[in-house]
Amino acid sequence: METLAIYAPKLVTASDYIASGHRACSGCGEVLAVRYVCKALGRNTIISNATGCMEIVSTPLPETAWEVPWIHTLFENASAVASGIESGLKALKRKHGYTKEVKVVAMGGDGGTADIGLQSLSGALERGHDFIYVCFDNEAYMNTGIQRSSETPFGASTTTAPAGKLSMGQHTQKKNMPAIAAAHNIRYVATSCSSYPFDIMNKIEKAKQIKGPSYIHILSVCPTGWRSASNLTITMGRLAVETGIFPMYEIEDGKYTLNFDYPKLRPVEDYLKLQGRFRHLTKENTAEIQEHVLTEFNRIRMLAGKKIK
Amino acid sequence: MKKDTSIEIRWHGRGGQGAVTSAELIALAAIHEGKFAQAFPSFGPERRGAPVLAFNRIDAENPIRIRSGVVKPDIVVVLDPGLVTLINVTDGLKPGGCLVVNSTRSVEDLQQEFSGDWKLAVVDAASIARELLGVNIVNTTMVGAMVKAAEVVKFESLKAPLNERFGARASSNFEACMRAYNSTVISQITTTGTKKSKSFPMEKIPGWRELLVGCIVTEPGNTKKFGTGDWKSQHPVWDDKKCIKCGICSLFCPEGCIQPNEEGYYRANLFYCKGCGMCAHECWTQAIKMVEGT
Repeated sequence: METLAIYAPKLVTASDYIASGHRACSGCGEVLAVRYVCKALGRNTIISNATGCMEIVSTPLPETAWEVPWIHTLFENASAVASGIESGLKALKRKHGYTKEVKVVAMGGDGGTADIGLQSLSGALERGHDFIYVCFDNEAYMNTGIQRSSETPFGASTTTAPAGKLSMGQHTQKKNMPAIAAAHNIRYVATSCSSYPFDIMNKIEKAKQIKGPSYIHILSVCPTGWRSASNLTITMGRLAVETGIFPMYEIEDGKYTLNFDYPKLRPVEDYLKLQGRFRHLTKENTAEIQEHVLTEFNRIRMLAGKKIK
Repeated sequence: MKKDTSIEIRWHGRGGQGAVTSAELIALAAIHEGKFAQAFPSFGPERRGAPVLAFNRIDAENPIRIRSGVVKPDIVVVLDPGLVTLINVTDGLKPGGCLVVNSTRSVEDLQQEFSGDWKLAVVDAASIARELLGVNIVNTTMVGAMVKAAEVVKFESLKAPLNERFGARASSNFEACMRAYNSTVISQITTTGTKKSKSFPMEKIPGWRELLVGCIVTEPGNTKKFGTGDWKSQHPVWDDKKCIKCGICSLFCPEGCIQPNEEGYYRANLFYCKGCGMCAHECWTQAIKMVEGT
């Protein structure tokens, strides 16, 4: 089986719903994640996309890279627009005998999800609209020049939280967005990463089957903002998972499942040292990050009913 | 009216190559000498790998009031060898000015590309940067070459800004700068223009009258018409003997531009390929190599 798994990419559908010629940076992990999400969603999809990198790079007016219906919304109302589309589809079915099954998807970056769009997301999750929310988390406002967001990890240097003599960059921990989504008691919450195509596609497939809201949080590697080499995009995502910095798990009807667990997590240095945004960190800072990562990972392990190592 | 004593410089590079840093270093060096100086990038939708511009203005006597981009430069510096044939880098270059190019080609060879009345300076900055810095980031190297070709600031004045900017890595950057200063080859070009001038690769933006109400785009996926291929400085090459046709390269391509050919071997569509190198890095059998050039 091991050797056969190498040929697994052959099984993925060849159809893409985001066309070439988009203006993403070379080595962009976010557009890669969007490719996988769209492959899994298929044609019968309407996307409402919050302002952010993905909107900028995919639709340089009068061009668009999208091959599914797509609406650009403001930062704060991607979920509200998705709610409206879903309600509109419902009305069409009720009044005009429309029968096609169309999935409504809202997309946003970490800023459009965890900072500015949080209220509309919360509202849409609470009202129980039948839609998927996908957050592409690249850990800062990359498109406008790497400003910190509430998803920027502890210790990262950004242009609005710069590292220097008096500061070590971002001094707050990453906001736990999946837990916030799960607190709405929705049926499906998951985290994934741009370096794991099959994981993303499986999770989107699962979310598609669910009637009601679901939330998927995808860590998207950003070589520009993380100041890493663009050919290391896939490696970087894998390291984030293997060091435990970004645990990949699902919450189905309140039940946690940890998708990737390791007998021994890699040390966080492996991940941090490859990125310019963490270059300034001292040994003490790294130790602090390591401790926090282990605590968080063990918390997820416990929630998933696993023994803590 | 005051005598115009200002020198204007335009830097052509690719996003991530450090053209902006180069401009800043020159401005800092000029300020260090007691001159007035400006350094700024051009703002646009440029991303990593895309052709970008940065500008300098240096004035030995008068404060600089103008704030716009440089359209008639005295000096043009090209950080990426691929840009010479791609865009018209000498657009607006003043007669008697100077063009500084990073290239492995000889001066005689490069002369064929241009026409005008100015100096051409050539340096193999990529090799210098690779040898001394370990990476193909030529910003400091090209600063050395530029100062050699047109002495806008004294070479010694670069030392303080380099130390300030690069800290621990300042000495190797200074060495690269010096190597370039010493190895730049300069020649004079005096041919008159017969070459057709190419325009900047600016995207054509329609006016508001041409847009549909509500900014609707009626043609799905029409970015396909736009080639992002000129963003790259390296391109992937497949070794079919090593290829096992697994398709991992196709799956991990952010552009979605790697497709199998009739025999089932994979190839990148270089019209879109941005040269990120992810396919080469992720290939199980290392069948893909990144090769310089578009």
